[in-house]
Parts: sequence; C-alpha cells; structure tokens
Amino acid sequence: MTSRLLMTLQVVVPPPQRLGGVPHGTRVIAAITGGTFDGPRLRGKVLAGGGDWTLSRSDSVLELDLRITLETDDGALISMSSFGLRHGPPEVLAALARGESVDPSTYYFRTAARFEASAQRYEYLNRLIAIAYGDRRASGPIYTVEEIL
Amino acid sequence: MRAFESEGRRPGGVHRREVLKAAAAAFVAGATNAWAGFAHAPAGHGHSSVVNTRGTAMNSRPLMTVRIAAAPPQKLGAVPHGIRSIVLVTGGDFEGPRLRGKVLPGGGDWLLLRSDGVLELDLRITLETDDHALIYMTFQGVRHGPPDAIAALGRGENVDPANYYFRTLPRFETSAEAYASLNRMVTVGVGEARPAGAVHRIYEVL
Repeated sequence: MTSRLLMTLQVVVPPPQRLGGVPHGTRVIAAITGGTFDGPRLRGKVLAGGGDWTLSRSDSVLELDLRITLETDDGALISMSSFGLRHGPPEVLAALARGESVDPSTYYFRTAARFEASAQRYEYLNRLIAIAYGDRRASGPIYTVEEIL
Repeated sequence: MRAFESEGRRPGGVHRREVLKAAAAAFVAGATNAWAGFAHAPAGHGHSSVVNTRGTAMNSRPLMTVRIAAAPPQKLGAVPHGIRSIVLVTGGDFEGPRLRGKVLPGGGDWLLLRSDGVLELDLRITLETDDHALIYMTFQGVRHGPPDAIAALGRGENVDPANYYFRTLPRFETSAEAYASLNRMVTVGVGEARPAGAVHRIYEVL
C-alpha cells in the first residue's frame, strides 16, 4: 500500500466540553476555533465552528469523530470529516491528559478522513481515501494527512 | 490462496514468506498465539514501510484478504443521492497471518453511484474465525477509474486493479479477547472487483 502527503493540519481546540458518562462511554466535545493546513496541493485555514466529538470507550480507546470546514488560500471551502482511534499505555495517556508534550510514537493516534469539495481544482479530494497520523499537543492536535494511492 | 500469494508483488506489500517469518517469530518468542504480537508496535522487521516523495512515511502491514461472494445486485435505480444498488453477501472467506475463517451470509453492500461517477461502498458483514469468534466488519469506500475500465467491470470482465482506484476504510467490532486488537486499529482496504465478487486486501495502519 502506498501513500503520499496530502497536508499537515493543525486545529486549535479550547478547553473541551466534558459531558461525562453517556450510554456509549465518556463523551467529551472539543469545539474547534481555528487552525491551519498546508500541503503540496492545498493550503489555508480551518474555519471556526467545527468540532471533534470524542468518546472514551469501556476498553479505554478514545474514538474521535471530527467535522471541520477548511478554507483554502484561493477561497474554496472543503468539508472534512474523520473517524479515528487513540490509545496507548496508561502513563502516556495520563501525560497527554495533563497537557504535557508526549512523543507521538509512544501511542496510537490514527484517523481515516474523507472530504467534500465543489471547486473543480479540489475535486480530487472527493475521490480519495486518506489516513492521518495524529500528534496530540496541548494547544490541539496536529495531523499528518496521507492520501492512500 | 492464490489471491493472497499475489500480495507480495504489490507496491509496499510484504512478501508472504516475511509474514510467515514474522508470525513464526512471534510464536517462537513464547506468545500464547500469533495474535499476541499484534499490538501497535512501531514498524520493524517484516512491516511495510512506505516512504513517499515528501519524506513522510506511512507504515502498514497486511491484516487479511477478504473474498466476498455476492448475490446479483438489487438495482433500485435513481434515488436522491445517486443510483442505488444493494448487493447481498452470500458468503466468502478471509485469511491473514493472524486470523482466518469465513464470511457469514446475510450482510450486504449498499452501493451508491454518485453524480461524479464515483461508486461509494457501504458494507456490513459478519466474519466467523476458524476458532468460532464473530467479528462485525463495516467499511465505507470509493471506486472509480477511467470510463473504459469501469465499463469493463460493469460487463463482468476481469480488469487489472491497477487500472482503477478501489479503496476502503474497514472497521471492526469483536468481543473475543483473542481478536480485541481489531477494535483498536485503523485499517485500509485495497479492493479488486472480480466477476465472482470483490476481493479486499486489508492493511493495518501501524
């Protein structure tokens, strides 16, 4: 299986909304107030208003369910949604929860992303499958998004 | 088996013998079963490490090949989102270094041909391993390609899968402890549409 870099995406996340225990796990909603993305074929900013609806499951895996809108530097709007998983050793997850910087190779944080665009120059995004490698920073996650070839 | 053996020739794929070697090494190392070596270890020997032109790397390793036997499609025709076909799954099998078994009849693929010519897949099936664990598998995916390749597929012909793009994002649910790693992994499927049904080579993203 081969891939190539689509973009690096950084989203800004203010303190999350902690909803607590719900039937499927522990729900935490992270509103997204902005961010940037940059890649060989697209770059621009993340619009405020999206979010990541995260669910901590009974097996300690965090499910991520992200929806954001990207605005390219040439004015196109792109909808991005991704579903992902984050898990790792308890001490690593505890350090992440304390907002510390943690080497992303010490935990598993991967998402699968899909896009929607109407602008002809970004139509290729409608047809591709992408995988992202996540790096949870205190200010918000950084994703390296790879197009599956 | 034939489909599985061809995996070693795919770009970024891992040779069959390397997979066997890795599985054997896990066994020799005293693992209770080959699956025990299956957690999200950093990519190492026997893993596929794909370095792209931009210098970033995506690591993956083969999880399994799923072969699906399907009934003739139910052609629902034009619906608000595109052209809908529903393909019921009648059976099949799956095989990988750490799991194998059969596809149970009763699932299906809810296909939607979009206005931009892309076929969207939305599959739900149940797998039963050879040691009787049940695994719920779903995926969404896309299939598209040049008009001549897609037309040949429509006529039920064999087409080299390198001529079209057929990729999926499988997800799994299981309660079986031996296969619990499936609940925690992100995977990608590389599909091949064959006259008898689709074949999906599924890779674990490491």
